[in-house]
Amino acid sequence: MTNYALEAEGLHTFYGKSHILHGVSLKVEEGKITTLLGRNGAGKSTTLRSLVGLTPAREGKVTIFGQDTTRRPPFAIAGLGVGFVPEGRKIFPNLTIEENLKVPADRPGYWTIDTVYELFPRLKERRNNKGRQLSGGEQEMLSIARALLLNPKLLILDEPSQGLAPLIVREVFNIVVRMRDQGMSVLLVEQNVRMSLEVADHAYVLNDGEIAFDGSATDLSEDEDRLQSLAGVSAEVWEI
Amino acid sequence: MTQLILFNIANGLIIGAFYALMAIGLSLIMSLSDVINFAHGGFLAIGAYIAYTLSPYIGFWGGLLVAPVLTAVLGIIVEKFLISRVYGRDPLYSLLLTFGLAFIFEDGTRMIWGAQSVPYSVPNWLMTPLSNEYFFITGYRLLMIALVALAVGGLFWMMNKTRLGLRIRAGTLDLETVSVLGVNVRVLRNLNFGIGIYLAGLAGVLAAGQLGLQPTIGASLIMPSFVAIIIGGLGSLLGTLLGGLLIGVASGITSVFLPSGTEAVMYVMMALVLLVRPQGLLGEEGRF
Repeated sequence: MTNYALEAEGLHTFYGKSHILHGVSLKVEEGKITTLLGRNGAGKSTTLRSLVGLTPAREGKVTIFGQDTTRRPPFAIAGLGVGFVPEGRKIFPNLTIEENLKVPADRPGYWTIDTVYELFPRLKERRNNKGRQLSGGEQEMLSIARALLLNPKLLILDEPSQGLAPLIVREVFNIVVRMRDQGMSVLLVEQNVRMSLEVADHAYVLNDGEIAFDGSATDLSEDEDRLQSLAGVSAEVWEI
Repeated sequence: MTQLILFNIANGLIIGAFYALMAIGLSLIMSLSDVINFAHGGFLAIGAYIAYTLSPYIGFWGGLLVAPVLTAVLGIIVEKFLISRVYGRDPLYSLLLTFGLAFIFEDGTRMIWGAQSVPYSVPNWLMTPLSNEYFFITGYRLLMIALVALAVGGLFWMMNKTRLGLRIRAGTLDLETVSVLGVNVRVLRNLNFGIGIYLAGLAGVLAAGQLGLQPTIGASLIMPSFVAIIIGGLGSLLGTLLGGLLIGVASGITSVFLPSGTEAVMYVMMALVLLVRPQGLLGEEGRF
């Protein structure tokens, strides 16, 4: 029997009066990487916002580690062991790296400021630099480090590769794989389809607020037609 | 003449310190909760009256210690049950709510303690001038300056060295992200409100000994506090402190040369700052 870290059923989410998600259902299997792909504006970020409690779904149900979290505030969901790396990294620009790392709540576990410094030596070197002085890659590392400090069992990343140099993207994906191999469940939203499918076990494609594909990552990577339509407006990150 | 100017500069510094304490609290609340707390002056008055009521039992020093804490507790309760309900709504709601609270506090203090000014006694030895020549320097005034410096210094330390302070600073720019990092932002806003009200309560106790105590004590300090925030730069604690002291001293000096301009000078300064440096003297994009 398969265990799921996260299950979402029939999510309908609105921004004011605009209806963004039309019954999105998805599952994240424990210890696996699940990727959620889709074009710009398909509703990927909104889906994540509904899952982590930032924009609660008006209808539907979110279950994380067996608990109904649909209406829980973000900090309570994070407290269950959900690390979130938001789109655009959302580093606190007025705080230093070290201060950024002191913001997350304490959840005991392997990850501490010292161990994330071991994972990202670069952050240790620049520990006294302000968030606004960091490069995109350093910000991404800091954003991941910050989420790891919650010692999450489920890691949710929103477009971690956005705006990063290819080498750094590779490094970020390596870390995601490493986390999976250490038993973490991962939900990865990406525009970089090729690399996501390379690392993911399961894939979903979101289109206009609805799930258009639900299957193994291997199946999707062999489905040329669907990949072409996925590329769409974001052809610039299409690297097949 | 020199002595007159010094006298008014000293007066200005004292009054400016009140503005600064008020303004820093207002600014903390405004930055993290997006609420302009018009009831801030009301809290100040309540802090002063609590000290007035308690000091016969616990003495001047006891009142000085306990009254701001009790005021902060009241602030925490008011935030939890009233102010937190309007978060995320149109700013009009919080304006109406805090404006209403300001009236309730002012008339509440009037009902309980009377509309007349009441004597708030400060130990005699503190009120004795330290020298004949500089008659305006009393121990009480030095004590006030020391306490304001201590409170502001403590706040700076907290904002830079404690996790609570770091989370408040992070939250002023991006509360959502602080929340997804597992920090209970309801508690964070609640404590931050309490800290702001503590400063108002402290200002109230100190002001009572200096300016006398009547129900309108807070109302007269709130407008200059907004001006201090604008001059110093929203989100800069140091700037707000500076803004408060500056307008206090400027009013003091103006009162020597142009008594009728005493009240107006701070608005002229505000207009000048807005023209030349709209973000305020020390304001920048990153708050705190």
